[in-house]
Amino acid sequence: MTRASQHSAARSRASQHSAARSRASQHLIAAMQAALAAEQAASYGYGIVGSHLARFAPKFAAATADCVAHEQARDSLASMITALGGTPNPAAAAYRLPVRVSTPTQAVGLAIVLERQVESAYLGMVAAPEPAVRAFGATQMQAAAVRCARWSGRSQTFPGLPGEQAG
Amino acid sequence: MKAEHTRRALLVAAASGSLLAGCKGIAALGPVPPPGPDVITLEHAIASEELMIARYRAALTALVRQGRHPDLVAGLLTEHSRHLAALRSRLVLPPRLATERPRPSPTPPPVPAGHAQVLDYLAAAERAAAARLLGQLQHVPAPLAQLMASIGACEAAHAALLGGTRPA
Repeated sequence: MTRASQHSAARSRASQHSAARSRASQHLIAAMQAALAAEQAASYGYGIVGSHLARFAPKFAAATADCVAHEQARDSLASMITALGGTPNPAAAAYRLPVRVSTPTQAVGLAIVLERQVESAYLGMVAAPEPAVRAFGATQMQAAAVRCARWSGRSQTFPGLPGEQAG
Repeated sequence: MKAEHTRRALLVAAASGSLLAGCKGIAALGPVPPPGPDVITLEHAIASEELMIARYRAALTALVRQGRHPDLVAGLLTEHSRHLAALRSRLVLPPRLATERPRPSPTPPPVPAGHAQVLDYLAAAERAAAARLLGQLQHVPAPLAQLMASIGACEAAHAALLGGTRPA
């Protein structure tokens, strides 16, 4: 092999490596964007939840605390995406709510749906090979399941997993 | 799909190795391969879930003796049984090993007296199990990590429910 062809082979290996690395980071960013979208929707949705609860009632305080938790997760995800060289997708100006809300009971129902959406949205990060990303996703799934159980008064057997296919 | 089958096949080979390690007969077939870290992690998760179920059974007995309605605890126990079934389904054992002498159920620590103390006993176990799964899911393939994350989320929710629901 000539020196020139050795150089060219090394360059090609290096570019294959960097292409693989870039594919892996694209994959990671996509998983984070999915979680970010759910956290943005939850941050918006909890504003609606709170607006249908009596101010200064314990449920209003709970909704406020949960809203703050989602905003913090949203901001952490945006920073993680930026650190990987990605651009966090912006939040929508408004969201079509998954359930109609005009009473406090329906507001609680919305909080439950938002938490379930957040649980599923972290599955992609839990599947990531990076320990920190996996840990963040799994920790957030636990936090969402706790909030969901507090609103609904019951647990789900397999939070975040689609349907009954968990086995 | 194909990748998943390959994965399962590997888990079979490794699992039979880990369970047969103490059996002399297998020596004739050559050295037994050591189980992979994912198999060991899965076996630990299965053992933890078995111990959790033993705690719940002991707690149920204690609550009934106290004359309490154990509806909440019975419901959570059902979910743990489904967790155990889901975890076991990920560990594919050769038929002979799977049917041969099932392991005896583990002995849980003694259940404290008093209704609130029984619920605390379970809540503390749930919190510890949820925290342990966060570490364990780092050592397994992605689909199993997702199952473990979901089970850990359920256990964190159980701890919250046992500790009292949000006031109305």
